[in-house]
Amino acid sequence: MIEANSLTKRYGARAAVQDVSFSCAPGTVTGFLGPNGAGKSTTLKMLCGLAHPTSGNSTLLGRPFTEIPNPGRHVGVLIDASAAHAGRRGRETLATSAKLLGVSDARVDEMLELVGLDDAAATKRVGQYSLGMRQRLGIAHALLGDPELLILDEPANGLDPEGMRWMRGLLRDFAARGGTVLLSSHLLHEVEAIADRLVIISGGKIAAEGTRDELIGDQAMTRVRSADDHALRSALRSFAIEVSATDDGALLAEATPEQVGEVALSAGVALRELGSARAGGLERLFFELTQSADAAPDHASAMEDHSTLQETVR
Amino acid sequence: MSALASHTIPAEERRPAFSRLVTVELRKMVDTRSGFWLPIGVTAITLITVIISALVHHGHEATLAHLFRNSLMPSSFLLPVLGILLVCGEWTQRTTLATFTLIPDRGRVLSAKLAASLVFSVAAFVVCLAFSAVFAELVGNAPGGAGGISVAILGQGLLFMMTAMMIGVAFGAAILVSAPGIVLYLLLPTVWNALAGAIHSLESIGNWLALGNTWSDLPQQTLSATQWAQVGTTLCVWLVLPLAIGWYRFRTRDVN
Repeated sequence: MIEANSLTKRYGARAAVQDVSFSCAPGTVTGFLGPNGAGKSTTLKMLCGLAHPTSGNSTLLGRPFTEIPNPGRHVGVLIDASAAHAGRRGRETLATSAKLLGVSDARVDEMLELVGLDDAAATKRVGQYSLGMRQRLGIAHALLGDPELLILDEPANGLDPEGMRWMRGLLRDFAARGGTVLLSSHLLHEVEAIADRLVIISGGKIAAEGTRDELIGDQAMTRVRSADDHALRSALRSFAIEVSATDDGALLAEATPEQVGEVALSAGVALRELGSARAGGLERLFFELTQSADAAPDHASAMEDHSTLQETVR
Repeated sequence: MSALASHTIPAEERRPAFSRLVTVELRKMVDTRSGFWLPIGVTAITLITVIISALVHHGHEATLAHLFRNSLMPSSFLLPVLGILLVCGEWTQRTTLATFTLIPDRGRVLSAKLAASLVFSVAAFVVCLAFSAVFAELVGNAPGGAGGISVAILGQGLLFMMTAMMIGVAFGAAILVSAPGIVLYLLLPTVWNALAGAIHSLESIGNWLALGNTWSDLPQQTLSATQWAQVGTTLCVWLVLPLAIGWYRFRTRDVN
């Protein structure tokens, strides 16, 4: 259980984090989502006692982090995978922490195996690691004390697609066994496949919070292109279906693909592309909420790779 | 992996023992590439220093007291630097993120570093004494041979080594960044000496405040009561004050 209550962090007049409250329940993965500089890391650091909130407080398992006697046994933390001593070997990095926590060296080897760092990698100095390897070492470090809670800042950073898939499985499994996961990301498509719930932060404030369905509602969305968008648009409107345009010139209709197809048939408009765009809806929401320039390219690409069904009528 | 059952913190859970923190701090001092070679380097330089002074002062001059005094010179310079790195290394390499999420009571972490520095300086003292004893025995022909050193000088030498490294830890905690920490530690006494040279009234209080005066005489001669008072005031300025600042900064600074 993770609870943040009105966490606020000010640097002079500027509020990096303002009145941030949320909670994460056991057995769930919460995605903490926002553009770079939105206050994600600062919030996570406040949860772990690494930064002191100007006001507000937080508890993990019912206690402030700093009052847990042996926090490594309950909370696995990965704030920055690059933050390891470059001159220390991978296994040694885990072994010193294992000593502090009071877990065995066998556990160190077990975790190295779990994250896929073999003997050769484990005896290398961390300075020679790729970002992906550091990320794996960081995950191993977080899991060392067999914690109930995981707090991970941008854990997918530097992982290749295979690594992302592995991480997804690991975290899903962790939650399935009753663990609580809070992970941050600035990329929606990284978290939406793992997270049960999303907390979207923008400009230091919580912009939206909830499950995927709660966030975009159960409104069906359809992306459509046709031979005559103007005619199709008026036809859809005559059936009281809201229509808007996407960035790349397609239409976005608030209806199911079946409904849009029937409207097009009755209006005699040839379709060129028809597909469900619910994911696009979430992407759009995230983009609107965060208004971040760096989210824009992902916006367009994510729209395309979601089950778009191309078909031509007649 | 086990099932994650409890979701509560057992009431009987204890913090990791302080002795374990100290052991891990000592291990972290020597388990990195630079940490591994630095003590070896200090040992080698100490050995060379003892050999040179044994050869130069061949004969009755090469007493144990004399060799011992010279053997401390490399460590007196390098132990404070090691002390600074012991604290600043973590902030510079950002391993504080891991350390403080395992031990959130940062006062305990800094205390463990101080304790580790004491252990380390005692080890350095033993090495210096051992080298000196061996070469005083081999080369020296003073009456009484290797036995020619007073307990007072040995005790003062040990205190000198221990405070030297603690001063480094204190500076490190106050500044928290390796390079400026070391530069400031080396520069401030020099600046003081320059000031004392230029301003006559400062010269007379130098014995009470400057690191280069009475404090560095600790391994040289048995101190008088006045000189002990001077060591006390000097350590207040160079150890207690930076440690007080460091104690505050180390515990309250946000980790980046």
